[in-house]
Amino acid sequence: MQPLFFLLLVLVTLILQTTALDYMAIYGVKPDLVLILAILNGFLRGTREGAFLGFSAGILQDLVSGGYFGLNALTKMVAGYLAGFGKDRLYRDNRVIAAGLTWVCTVWSQLVFYILLLLVNVSVPVVKALTYVILPTAFYNALVVLVIYAYYYHFCRGGPPGKGEYFNP
Amino acid sequence: MSRLSPRKSFFLLSIVVVIIIVGMHLSAGNTYKLTPLESTIRDVLSPVQRVVTVVGVKISDFVTFPVRLYKVSEHNRQLEQQVVELEEKLSRYNEIRAENIRLKEQLAFKTSLVGQMKTESAEVVGREADNWFGIAIINKGSASGIRQDMAVITPAGLVGRVTNVTDHTAEVLLITDPRSGVGCLVQENRAPGIVEGVAGGRGVVNMVHISSDLTPKKGNRIVTSGYGSVFPKGIPVGTVQGTRREESGMFKTAVLETFVDFNRLEEVLVITSTNL
Repeated sequence: MQPLFFLLLVLVTLILQTTALDYMAIYGVKPDLVLILAILNGFLRGTREGAFLGFSAGILQDLVSGGYFGLNALTKMVAGYLAGFGKDRLYRDNRVIAAGLTWVCTVWSQLVFYILLLLVNVSVPVVKALTYVILPTAFYNALVVLVIYAYYYHFCRGGPPGKGEYFNP
Repeated sequence: MSRLSPRKSFFLLSIVVVIIIVGMHLSAGNTYKLTPLESTIRDVLSPVQRVVTVVGVKISDFVTFPVRLYKVSEHNRQLEQQVVELEEKLSRYNEIRAENIRLKEQLAFKTSLVGQMKTESAEVVGREADNWFGIAIINKGSASGIRQDMAVITPAGLVGRVTNVTDHTAEVLLITDPRSGVGCLVQENRAPGIVEGVAGGRGVVNMVHISSDLTPKKGNRIVTSGYGSVFPKGIPVGTVQGTRREESGMFKTAVLETFVDFNRLEEVLVITSTNL
């Protein structure tokens, strides 16, 4: 997948993320699709490109959402970079491994987000940040990856998936 | 990037990261102004967001239809009963309201009741992208007379205040956002406190700094106090779910359940003027 196409995908995802995704929220928590894209991209492409495209996706999100500039860029870069470590070490054809990696990368990137929040003087109690935001988001992200990973993997490699492949854990 | 040696690119990356962190820290208090680029992006995206939101509502309605149908008849009976009770209350309320206006005019008292304000209705076209903040983008902006720091409500209660305005959109900081603080009162015993958001996505809201001798009971109603100039007095915020002692030991914190369902925020009213 070309980087430009990746960014276009991020833009479309962003619009979904701020609108229709609210109807998928469980107790108000929704998955972070852009973060998932950054993580899967890092997993399939390695640390360097993972970090770079994570950073670009984050910058795009910062531009669109108009909050603290750089907040999403840095956290998504961390996620893409961390996920890149899995490229040569983890088995790529298994969606459970991808979901596990997503869980770990989401937790770390959200922890970075938390630290950056402190830097801009937004204080959330640690326990509440973990129980209300970081862990629920990580589980929800992992769940989404469990469902979409096969599609995304084959979409990136090109060509349709084999028969019955989507329902084989 | 591949032309650079790993060492150089790492160096470059560190510089970028440091610049961003410093920039973020310095501009932390200044997010209530959008750059021209951001406001253009927002104006362009808002119609698209609106279409996707409407489609989302339709799909969600369609999917949940059987579940809602199942409960609707029982609910209907309850509602009919309530209507009778409320109609009786309403007629009394109208009497009191008329009396209130009359007396206030006699006293030359500036009014502060929600029913007596000018509002501008708007639709929510977008929400925050993450689970940390509580933000809503609405489809009316400065072209409709909306300005920064106007209070935003629904008929159920307080939603938040306007922070950024573009020509045709406005950003609303919800009371669930950790950056939000609203001066409030316990309606029953008039104890003052500040209602703060905890984490945007979950919609958890706490009322902090309530003095210990005026601890509210479970089920007490919280309304805005009107201190400060942003929120008019008497807008309902939520009910008390429970209280606990704060770390300092001098105050109590109450956990609230808001009257507004922030997960289903579709239409809001912006208070444009509090003068009758």
